[in-house]
Amino acid sequence: MTEMQSSNNKIDNQCTGEVLSEDLEGVDGALCNVEADEYFLNIKGELNQVDRLVSDAVNNLVINFRYISKLTQTHHEMVTTIERMAIPDGNKPILELLDKQMEIAEKIEQELEMAITSLQFGDLVTQLLAHTAHQVEMLNMELQRIDREDNWRNGKAALHTIHEGISKAVNIAKTRSKRKPVVQQGMQMGDVELF
Amino acid sequence: MAKTILAVDDSASIRQMVAFTLKGAGYEVIQAVDGEDALEKANKHTVNLVLTDINMPRMDGLKLLELLRKLSNYKTVPILMLTTESGDDIKAKGRAAGATGWLVKPFDPKRLLEVIAKVIG
Repeated sequence: MTEMQSSNNKIDNQCTGEVLSEDLEGVDGALCNVEADEYFLNIKGELNQVDRLVSDAVNNLVINFRYISKLTQTHHEMVTTIERMAIPDGNKPILELLDKQMEIAEKIEQELEMAITSLQFGDLVTQLLAHTAHQVEMLNMELQRIDREDNWRNGKAALHTIHEGISKAVNIAKTRSKRKPVVQQGMQMGDVELF
Repeated sequence: MAKTILAVDDSASIRQMVAFTLKGAGYEVIQAVDGEDALEKANKHTVNLVLTDINMPRMDGLKLLELLRKLSNYKTVPILMLTTESGDDIKAKGRAAGATGWLVKPFDPKRLLEVIAKVIG
């Protein structure tokens, strides 16, 4: 069982059936609040972990990309030099081999260009994660606020009032969330518009 | 003499991909990590084109655009927005603030170079 699942179960036990049907007062209510806070912190922690992993992977990929690019450039220069040396002798087999080498080098360069588009995924993921973390934080803040309201704390809230409260919290969190910064569903090239 | 492009983005990988593309085409590239950094570098160097992201810490791309357009030497310099944002409302804000064009990420290197060549000749 993961840390997140364990946290889920604890909240289920304390915030559902037993607590709602018996007593929302005092210690149980406070525990529920703390558990919810921990739960949301846990989600934020995991989002941060994903962000770190993605950033680390992107950094490594960029280093690999630059190295391959440099090797391709060196290879290109070597082929050109050998070609120049072979031309005076008119060595046909060597010139043919060099032509093939040039073709391969050009194909690698084309693939590298395509990799430039794909390697931008890290930026998109980071922005989406930041947006999700912000939404989670807003929802947590609103739920905490409702939890502090008097009728809730005094145990007078009926189930429908709690549901209404949660629904209200979600709506407020939605309106306070920033607009989603990334709408792309794939890594195809984006639109271009000149004004 | 090579033309100079100021590339502004808080993402290191995007800056590197932009710089790789532009340097490969013979441009000089100055990199900035956010709007404030870009404004400082724009004042220090002669820049032929600015390519900027929007969502950045400290100062975003729209604010940078607005401040650059107030500087006498940046009134006519092309400023392209390179961003994940593609909503009509934010594009309209960019256009109103003086953006030359709008490119949605991820960018394609060939297309980026075509657009840049078109706006700076």
